[in-house]
Amino acid sequence: MVDGVSRVACVRVEAFAAAAVERCEPGLREQPLAVVTGAPPATRVVEANAPARAGGVRAGLSDAEAGVRCPGLVRRPASADAEAAARHALLEACLSVSPRLEDAAPGVVHVDLAGLHALFGADADIAARLRRQARAVGLEARVGVAATRAAAAVAARVGPTVNVLPPGGEGAALAAVPLAALDWPEPLAATFTRWGLTTLGDLAALPRDGLGARLGPGGLAAHDRATGVDRTPWVPWTAPVFWEEAQGLEWELGTLPALVPVLDAVLGRLCARLAAAHLVADTLEVRLALATGGHHARSVTLAAPLSDAGALVALLTLEIEAHPPSAAVTGVAISAHVVARRAAPGGLWQPPAPAPRDLAGVLARLTTLVGRANVGAPVALDSHRPDACSLTSFVVEPAEEHARSARATADAVKPARADGAIAEPTSAAASPGKPSDAAAGAEPPTEETPAGALALRRLRPPRAVTVEAADGRPLRVSDPAAGTLDVVMCAGPWRISGDWWDTDVWARDEWDVALGDDTVWRLAHNRLTNTWCLDGVYD
Amino acid sequence: MLVDRLLRQGAMTELVGPLSSGRTSLLTLCLRDVTGRGALAALVDTDHAFDAVGAAAAGVELRRVLWIRAEGHRRHALKAADLLVRCPGFALVALDLGESPPRLSVGAAYRLRLAARRSGVTLLVVSARRVVGGAAALAVAARRDRLAWAGPGVLPRRLAGMRSEFHLVRKQGAPSTAEAERVWWTA
Repeated sequence: MVDGVSRVACVRVEAFAAAAVERCEPGLREQPLAVVTGAPPATRVVEANAPARAGGVRAGLSDAEAGVRCPGLVRRPASADAEAAARHALLEACLSVSPRLEDAAPGVVHVDLAGLHALFGADADIAARLRRQARAVGLEARVGVAATRAAAAVAARVGPTVNVLPPGGEGAALAAVPLAALDWPEPLAATFTRWGLTTLGDLAALPRDGLGARLGPGGLAAHDRATGVDRTPWVPWTAPVFWEEAQGLEWELGTLPALVPVLDAVLGRLCARLAAAHLVADTLEVRLALATGGHHARSVTLAAPLSDAGALVALLTLEIEAHPPSAAVTGVAISAHVVARRAAPGGLWQPPAPAPRDLAGVLARLTTLVGRANVGAPVALDSHRPDACSLTSFVVEPAEEHARSARATADAVKPARADGAIAEPTSAAASPGKPSDAAAGAEPPTEETPAGALALRRLRPPRAVTVEAADGRPLRVSDPAAGTLDVVMCAGPWRISGDWWDTDVWARDEWDVALGDDTVWRLAHNRLTNTWCLDGVYD
Repeated sequence: MLVDRLLRQGAMTELVGPLSSGRTSLLTLCLRDVTGRGALAALVDTDHAFDAVGAAAAGVELRRVLWIRAEGHRRHALKAADLLVRCPGFALVALDLGESPPRLSVGAAYRLRLAARRSGVTLLVVSARRVVGGAAALAVAARRDRLAWAGPGVLPRRLAGMRSEFHLVRKQGAPSTAEAERVWWTA
């Protein structure tokens, strides 16, 4: 117990480079696999999985020699992207069990078990949970539990897949471990053999200072390992700010149906990581490596946060179908912007909302149909400019947030309704129109309660018209679509302007006009350009 | 309450009328009612005519409205409505076909009706003339009744309101009646 850590688990994935490849291609788990590097004929084996090692394949062998030793050997090039993704996946899997981790090496994670026993039980239960989490992200791990990181690391290498060293019994357990079961630098291993050392107990019995004097820092580290003493500080690992999965392809994929299984595999791994961390994806970014050497990148903003691989594959497929790459694909990388998963979808009395998967699928299809710019939730902009609105992404709010926003909106709307009540004094009809227009200009019925607000159907863009006016009031409107129409009744002007401090200044007079064809329009006179236009029709 | 009678879960309702008849005001009222109780609504806007600022002032919870702008493509609007009406969870799917509604085959209309019934979504079709025929469980025709103008002087300074008259044109399983309802809208 050097730095306050009482119980530590070491999660270790053997032959990590091979495991990373197996994670991308699960079908290779049962076959002898060698991860190779270098161009032929200088291709060398970097790492081999268990069946290949059983066949005699070792790191450093030439490709030809490995093939002779193990005839059915499958070779895959080393993929830094796949290893990095697997390394992050293992860390995130461990993070779902304990918040305090140390990224010791590729495929080796130290997990602080302090405080976890009340949650998950004994050391063996926690170790089994760690192993399950690692398997959920596609990695087979061994777990050792001890009082120190050094002892736990040794325990993870030898014995059963879940190896718990009893508290206080680490020294005895380590003493029996043969030196040959561990990896040592070649000069150290030769020296130990020359000295006749066979177990860690033999090494631990030697004086530490003497080992340091003869073998240098390597000797000191070996003695610490044999005695199970940690002398380096704990370096905590925090979750990365990006979530990415990638897969390189040995062959070129020229069609979308061929690409879909690859997307499915990559997204499946990414979603498993998200599920382990209790997160959901908000935005997906896919980056396709092309045979021409370039890249094809697309971004998919999800309507509802998801971690369902099937739905995400469908959405990505739609996006790539709408924007196909210019050449065959040789690699796929998908990253996700994540948000926290909500614990509850809504209240008992909350009206039902579409399932996130259904909603995301419908929105993706609508986007494909009418374009991304034409789908979303309308939002009124903070401006007095007429028709100041835009679209934002459509997000289903939970019940509590909606209740808050509804109260805020109701408070904001109440005074507007009071202002808009029709109980104010009215004018007598001063219209040049027909007798029926006089009825139109009658007093408002104060005895009737208005059901709501009169809506405007907007013309976008506003339609330019020619207006004959007398004393500034419109008398006749010439519309290219409807012809020339007399103004039966008009009200106005409502003079508004804005943005005078900017280059986009606007100033207009608005009129409400009842025309001879029984329609009521909002007419606008642009005071800057002295032109008229129809803004919309009251309906 | 007019909206309660207009919106029936899992049914298709048709609202027709000329310009300035009050049909869009009634549509906005339906959106306010649906979003006000926390449910979701979708609006397929064929002619890009929806006044979002005015709707917000009228009390519509814009964040609970999914706005699809078909930019004049009527086939896209029908396809969008078909997609939405098959997605359970929307309390209201409003299809505003504008002033030039497309011809809709009887088969297409009944498919929409069946989809609405299966998903429990209320489909409200708003247009200048009837397009879905007998597939609509309820058809209401709107017309303008009168206008009210306001202002301190002789000449009116603003449009104060409009009264609309809604006639029941068709009600599934009931004989046609001369039932009508008058509604005031404030400008």
